[in-house]
Amino acid sequence: MTTAARPGFDSGIPPSKNMEGSPTPLSVLGPQADAERQRIRQQFEGGTSARETLKALCELADGNVRQIFGEVLRVHGHEAQGLCLLALGGYGRQMLFPYSDLDILFLFGSDRAEQESRPLISEFSRTLWDLGFRVSSAGRTLEECKRIEEDNAEFHLALLDRRLLAGDSALFEKLDTKILPASEKQARPFLLAQLHRLTRERLTRYGNTIFHLEPNVKESPGGMRDCQATIWLRQLADEKKGSRNTTAAEEELSASAVDFLSAIRCFLHYSNGRNDNTLTYELQAAAAQRALGIGDGRARTASDWMRQYFRHARTLNRQLLRYLEQRAPVPLTLRQRFFSAARAARVEAGDGKHFHVRDGLLEVVDLPALSDRAITYSLFAEAARSGAPLSREAERSIGYILTHPELPPKNTELCWDKLREILGSDYPGLALRPMQRLGLLTEILPEFGLIDSLVVRDFYHRYTVDEHSLRTIEHLQELAEPPDERGAHFAQLWKTAERRDLLILAMLLHDVGKGMPVENHITGSLAALDSAAQRLKLSPEEKAEIRFLIEHHLDMSATVQRRDIFDPATVSGFAESVTTQERLQRLCLLTYADIHAVNPEALTPWKAEMLWQLFVATSNYFSRTLDRDRLHAHDEVSLLGRIQGFAGEATTEEIERFLEGFPRRYLAVHSAAEIASHFALYRKLSTEPVQAEVAATRHSFALTLLTADRPALFATISGVLAGWGMNINKADAFGNAAGIILDTFHFTDLHRTLELNPSEIGRFRKSLEDVVNGKAALEPLIKGRESASRGRTPKVTVETRINFDDSSSAHCTLLEIVTQDHPGLLYEIGSALARLGCNIEVALIDTEGHKAIDVFYLTAQGKKLTSQKQELLREVLQETLS
Amino acid sequence: MMKLEAIIQPSRFESVKDALREIGVEGMTVTEVRGHGRQKGHTEVYRGREYTVDLLPKVKLEMVLPDKLVNRVVDTILKTAKTGKIGDGKIFLSRVEEAIRIRNEERDENAL
Repeated sequence: MTTAARPGFDSGIPPSKNMEGSPTPLSVLGPQADAERQRIRQQFEGGTSARETLKALCELADGNVRQIFGEVLRVHGHEAQGLCLLALGGYGRQMLFPYSDLDILFLFGSDRAEQESRPLISEFSRTLWDLGFRVSSAGRTLEECKRIEEDNAEFHLALLDRRLLAGDSALFEKLDTKILPASEKQARPFLLAQLHRLTRERLTRYGNTIFHLEPNVKESPGGMRDCQATIWLRQLADEKKGSRNTTAAEEELSASAVDFLSAIRCFLHYSNGRNDNTLTYELQAAAAQRALGIGDGRARTASDWMRQYFRHARTLNRQLLRYLEQRAPVPLTLRQRFFSAARAARVEAGDGKHFHVRDGLLEVVDLPALSDRAITYSLFAEAARSGAPLSREAERSIGYILTHPELPPKNTELCWDKLREILGSDYPGLALRPMQRLGLLTEILPEFGLIDSLVVRDFYHRYTVDEHSLRTIEHLQELAEPPDERGAHFAQLWKTAERRDLLILAMLLHDVGKGMPVENHITGSLAALDSAAQRLKLSPEEKAEIRFLIEHHLDMSATVQRRDIFDPATVSGFAESVTTQERLQRLCLLTYADIHAVNPEALTPWKAEMLWQLFVATSNYFSRTLDRDRLHAHDEVSLLGRIQGFAGEATTEEIERFLEGFPRRYLAVHSAAEIASHFALYRKLSTEPVQAEVAATRHSFALTLLTADRPALFATISGVLAGWGMNINKADAFGNAAGIILDTFHFTDLHRTLELNPSEIGRFRKSLEDVVNGKAALEPLIKGRESASRGRTPKVTVETRINFDDSSSAHCTLLEIVTQDHPGLLYEIGSALARLGCNIEVALIDTEGHKAIDVFYLTAQGKKLTSQKQELLREVLQETLS
Repeated sequence: MMKLEAIIQPSRFESVKDALREIGVEGMTVTEVRGHGRQKGHTEVYRGREYTVDLLPKVKLEMVLPDKLVNRVVDTILKTAKTGKIGDGKIFLSRVEEAIRIRNEERDENAL
């Protein structure tokens, strides 16, 4: 603690007399102090506790301060009346580290006393300097102490730890029992607000994490300052000693953390020979060698010893954050209150019995219910879904239940479906953070425990491996509202990414191998995935997706940094290793977050731009080369075997006939089980020429339709969906060599017709089959819908762009349309294409907010479109879509 | 002493760095830059949005060298940064009057 001296105070006024001739001159006191310091150091190095060491250092300082003060008074013929010395801050608390400053306040009874004392104070400070004490002094009159200095909150906070050192004890008594209690009471809101501000600023400066590879044991989160800030918060809140706000077990943990950190700080001061509190790699190794702070003398590896450090740092940091949250000095703004109320309303609709949102934080209402782990996990799922973090008190309650065996837990198994819900939400980090702090994350995912508080030394990473992994996830969830320009492009990828749960699980596991004795950490991470996948019962396809992300998690950044990303060969080579657009999207997000979480400066705008350029080039490569690579089923032995496993008595030849000629993307985006179910529909085509299936997914419905190719098929299906008020978000249309068309549509049910009336699903399917078969007309359906949706104006305007590309495909002309999305859009486009005799070979339909992005591979009479036809089509589409 | 500035392709940076290390050049300043000479940018379209990549990413190396090392360093960079395509970059050399190490005030080549 450094307290600012007033300008002009102790400004070098020469002493009227000096200490020459005094009974204990400097020549005696100096060596005495040095010898005593040396003795204290030797005792510390011999095993004396930090607590004893700090006490001894403080006694040494106190003794010298009193003696010098007495001598100076004597030499100057000055009385102590109206002047006293106070120890403040750490020195006031009797926690004086070997090279810490002595924070001393000179308290004067009056302005006159101050004037008279100036020369002797100057001499006093200089003498202490000469004796090897670093004095940081300030001076105030009693009257001045009544006022609050708004620009110097640090001084008032240091005063909370005041202790009389020497001088007029009546003057101190007056300050201590009358003046300060009154002014502190009055200034409490100000001090609380300032303490919050200073603490938040400090925590932010250190990235709000305890997990630094080379932490500062005083200033970093989890350091000694956290402990001190907690004590001040409790003091300012006037918490009575022994109040039930903190359990005895918590107090014990906290005391043991302070002892551990104090030992390190003493060690650092002695090792560095100055007030330097950075726990460098070298000093970590040295501390681990002597089991510093543990006391059993058994040498450890630096990483094992650092785990002890982080355990203690977590105790202090957790306690501070809890008090910061409890004693928030600033009431919520009106906007925050509305936001909080809106969140609360949403929670009530879900599981309102056990928890609710207050002041933007999730609070537990029904504490005993927490012994049911299913309820605890639903609390985490709610945080991940709503974006409202758990309050520290809620986290503390869960921690209490977890550590008290008298409350036996129920439903401790977390199934993959529930975990998926957490991982796939918009804010997975808000659940995973507290789950990690409480040990629940390693309970579900023991593999993550391998990197718990793990320090891996390198030049670039700033955080421990577990912290880095969690930060990757937090950087992704930030993309909901990107905090800076680096995230702007990637935000749209995050918002539209499918199966985020797989991405997040990959992120949790991607560096787990760093905690294993393996040469290449990726090998270890993949082994961890094997065990996790088996335990969580992931499907082979889910596991394969995560495996891909872990195995290739460094590829995209390596390509960006070591290859020429503007060379088409680089792009095609990279695209071939990635295989699908969906994988590319997830890999790009992982790479973005992985670089970002290395340290705050690692992801420069330059790197972010390069990464984006590679993504765009590869994505364009995928949409433009879709029909280049067709399936030759005979070569797909393993796939055939897997499909046969699902398909029962079907012969390999039958499956081969079905698969032959589909674009390779078909295999990449469907699992073997899905392909087998498509094959089952295919086999029924001989009895019923149109096969359709409708299934509800998490946020939408999926329609799969198989039939023989026919004119305007795509437009007809889109028309039926539009007629039923369904909004198509995504679609694929593929054809095999035998002319069988497989269309998949993902749509939202705008009017909740199917959701509220499950029996309507059958009628919808029948209507679809009848229209496709020509048994019913499409027009009446469309007409009815047109009248219902007329007059709605879009909220966002998207300019229509129509592009033709003849060079990307050998047989087709690519048509790319970007336009304003609206119900029936695909029907309008499909109808226009059908009217002009264009055959859709492949279609990729996507939606991004209000923007529809559609790519069609077109032929006319088996050939690419002529330029005249392209112009005509452009005109027709322009007119239709305007 | 000469100051050397080289603008190279990012993809060649690792190779150039390794090659320079092999001939004993350890210290250099590296900056991520964007720019173009005769190599113009291009336009990329993604989902209807156009991205004009008119300033291409490059890496700039800066180092001050004793005269006797200049030719070897230039040769090494030429050899390792060259792909033969437009956009391989450029090397600029300029004379340096004096160098001073702040820590101990050593001067000229001793300060390098």
